[in-house]
Amino acid sequence: MVYYLIVCRSLTYAQRTAAALERSGITAHILRSPKVISGEGCSHSVKVSERYLSESLVVLSRVNLTPKRVYIISSDGSYKEVRLL
Amino acid sequence: MIYLDSAATTLQKPPAVARAVSAAMGSMASPGRGGHRPAMLAAKTAFACRETAARLFHVSDPERVVFTFNATHALNIAIKSLVRPGDTVLISGFEHNAVTRPLAALEGVTVKVAAAPLFDPEAMVASFREQMTPEVSCVICTHVSNVFGYVLPIAHIAALCRERKVPLILDASQSAGCLPVHMEELGAAFIAMPGHKGLYGPQGTGLLLCGDCESVPLLEGGTGSLSQSPSMPEFLPDRLEAGTHNIPGIAGLLEGLRFVERTGTETIFRHELGLCRRAAQQLAALPGVRVFAGGAGESQGGVLSFVVEGMDCEELGAALGERGIAVRSGLHCAPLAHRTAATLESGTVRASFSAFNTPREADALARAVRGISSGKGLRSN
Repeated sequence: MVYYLIVCRSLTYAQRTAAALERSGITAHILRSPKVISGEGCSHSVKVSERYLSESLVVLSRVNLTPKRVYIISSDGSYKEVRLL
Repeated sequence: MIYLDSAATTLQKPPAVARAVSAAMGSMASPGRGGHRPAMLAAKTAFACRETAARLFHVSDPERVVFTFNATHALNIAIKSLVRPGDTVLISGFEHNAVTRPLAALEGVTVKVAAAPLFDPEAMVASFREQMTPEVSCVICTHVSNVFGYVLPIAHIAALCRERKVPLILDASQSAGCLPVHMEELGAAFIAMPGHKGLYGPQGTGLLLCGDCESVPLLEGGTGSLSQSPSMPEFLPDRLEAGTHNIPGIAGLLEGLRFVERTGTETIFRHELGLCRRAAQQLAALPGVRVFAGGAGESQGGVLSFVVEGMDCEELGAALGERGIAVRSGLHCAPLAHRTAATLESGTVRASFSAFNTPREADALARAVRGISSGKGLRSN
């Protein structure tokens, strides 16, 4: 399975993000951001399945929750930032 | 023991509160400090508590609900965020030392007092209107006096603040859990409240509800976020929550909030007001007893002060304690309120009720006061 990680500014923000997605029927899992993508130090991310990313971004936009950054987990386990237009 | 000191701390709590504290002690770690199950369980509990508080107090999002140790801690953050040395601040004549002492500690702050007689909301609004002059940069007001149970006309005071664009800090220490506290409608900059009084949480818990204004941390330290930055994060709640959370307390507070939400603040207020009036009526009928009661309106909550002529309030409080009735005597950390009501010299005895008190307990208080006062040479009924 391919996943996206939505990096959030704080744990509480990640919890709000996950709660908004779950309310829309999208499975969302909170985890600590891997060190290589956490940026300025510790942060939390919300993990969603590849097929739900676009729907997730629509849901988050609707409730004014802005992802800090989004990464895709590649098959080799590396992280690649996704440019949001 | 008949416990009538809920304005200090509610002693009887919903049983789920102690269960939640105990369960958290055995299963939860620190939110944001690990990805393991005990940390994530703690995070889930903290978030549920923020969400429940946001819903109960009409806060736009749970990030604006900040955990504190108590209302004093919350008020200190609010005051030190908004008040600068040299500022002029307007407060009501019924404020607690949790407001007046932080203000006194700030250099060169001028404190104006909107004073008006007890249980006269119109006079209080008029006083705020008159005193809210252009140099006033912040208004701080208690919702309910911790000494007299006087419900201040906070909706009108908040409207004045909005009209004159002066930020409002509301001390909801005695109202949270028994009166509507509506963050969005009031448009307050900050609302401070304890967790251990009308929200039925454990001691060591409190909440600061944050509006749109800038906040200044009282403590700096780890937040589990932006760890490489030498400064505290700009975003809430992390900005104001340095260090490890009191997770067992927060777990208990969550159950207290759920109890209040389930029971309804209106129901709790009616119950406490009913007990207060019942006790007031019986006490007022005793010779030599002066009761500070709000009359038939709703300008009083479940807090009742009284004095017995010729008796020291501390001696009366101690005598009630010996008869198994817990009340609080003295100045209740609110000398300004006593000055406003002209009881600074005598102090008062305060009985304060919770959702768990009964009419029989209110009657027992009056009977005990009658017995004590008649023993002191005062004629009883």
